Amino acid sequence: MTDQIREQMSALLDGELAPGELGLLVRRMERDAALRRAFGNYVLAGESLRAPGCIIASPGFAARVSAALDAGGAVPATAPAELARPAPRWKRPLAGLAVAAGAALAAVVLVRPGTDGGSLVAQQAAPVTMAVVSMPGGASPTPAQTQRLAGYLVAHGQYASAIGRRNAWSNALAADPGINRVVYEASEKR
Amino acid sequence: MGRLSVIVAAGALVLAAPLAGADPPTARQWLERMTESLASLDYDGLFIHSAGSQFETMRIVHRVEDGRSVERLVSLDGSGREIVRTAEEVHFYMPDRRVVLVERRTDPGSLLKALPAPGAKLDALYTLELRKGRRLLGRDVQVVDVRPRDAYRYGYRLWLDEASAMPLRSEVLNGAARTVESIHFTRLDLGKAVDPRALQPGVDATGFQWVRAGRRAEPPVAGAGWMPRRVPPGFRLVASRSQPVPGTPVRMQHLIFSDGFASVSVFIEPAPPKGPAPPESASVGSANAYSTQVQGHMVTAVGEVPPETVREIANSVAPLEGGTPAASAAATPVDR
Repeated sequence: MTDQIREQMSALLDGELAPGELGLLVRRMERDAALRRAFGNYVLAGESLRAPGCIIASPGFAARVSAALDAGGAVPATAPAELARPAPRWKRPLAGLAVAAGAALAAVVLVRPGTDGGSLVAQQAAPVTMAVVSMPGGASPTPAQTQRLAGYLVAHGQYASAIGRRNAWSNALAADPGINRVVYEASEKR
Repeated sequence: MGRLSVIVAAGALVLAAPLAGADPPTARQWLERMTESLASLDYDGLFIHSAGSQFETMRIVHRVEDGRSVERLVSLDGSGREIVRTAEEVHFYMPDRRVVLVERRTDPGSLLKALPAPGAKLDALYTLELRKGRRLLGRDVQVVDVRPRDAYRYGYRLWLDEASAMPLRSEVLNGAARTVESIHFTRLDLGKAVDPRALQPGVDATGFQWVRAGRRAEPPVAGAGWMPRRVPPGFRLVASRSQPVPGTPVRMQHLIFSDGFASVSVFIEPAPPKGPAPPESASVGSANAYSTQVQGHMVTAVGEVPPETVREIANSVAPLEGGTPAASAAATPVDR
């Protein structure tokens, strides 16, 4: 990755990338999987600075953050001031908007069998800092299970509201095997 | 001033000051405007989607062609997956698995009837609040809070562009008022012509496995006509169909329930031959799924609702008694 691209990605996260450059960078990311991963790391690095301790680490997270920081991918710890004043359309009010500080839980949770509230409590009330990765009995869904869930989400999205479809399909896109998954063993009978 | 000029001038006045002297739009009217804008406007935007610890930058391109919306949603910093909704089909590209799932697009006429839309009954299920928000993306914003009146559905907070009613930011909130999923637009181009090339997939799917639902007539699947005996208050059956879900080898029954804002799909299919399996649930973002086996069938409920809701619906699914719906007063199927 060239210094120019690094600068463009930092500028994108800061909301300072010129529209012409933004289009080029987006097209480049669409073609280049490595660039997409690198950008994800930049976002992770920025979020880790803004919300220390509030992000559940995925495997390799620390190494990726470290690598991103070494690469100069840190972003400001505060949102740009343009939130309070008119800004050019292309400017991003953002950099800290990627993950709400109160966001909860791992991305995919498997529960079995016959839980009676366990999963609900786990998903709704657990603070984001809970060590879900160390939950006993944890396991990942198989690729077939993941693909099946994605298929359901795509089919379901066709009939959801406009907002619901965007959420369902975004989740189908995001449901890849690289994210944290946890199995909660339940002891209650149905 | 000629007659035509007068008409044009009057029309311009209405467009420029539609609410002069009138009551300002209510929260529900903002939601209705949002729903219409999402479906009818051309736009190209970048947003960050976050769910739990996971977040990805995505691009959405939406264009209306011959009265039908076509759309492309692509992950820019993760798996490279993308979904392209053409006039006829929905293509889900998974380059990480070298698979493309294909689903036939639903009929637009019946779909319009079936699509959840915020109606007058919404007030009975949610409390709606409207307030002025801080500017986002250089645009004035109205914030709509949609709070459920019970535990069967999630809440929403929506930051809507005052000019277009497009959601610039949205959050799904659980019963503890925690964000379970959010979308933040970091760029949104509105009112520009969308280049059709932007709707083409960026994935070279040469050599990929295409998993396509069959087009030929097939026998009805076992499980057709099954129905939940109970659905949470406010949910009604808005559509049903018998069609394969991409990625699965069998034809299944798909029922769709909606409360006007949230929706739940119920899939009924023959159980796997390997024998009974325990109930299982999964969640990703605000979407929850619950699968259980009933009389040799696997029943799965999926929706952007709390886990309890999909579990309760799935656990109540049973064959119709005597050919008539059991306790499901829900509604009449409107789509096949």
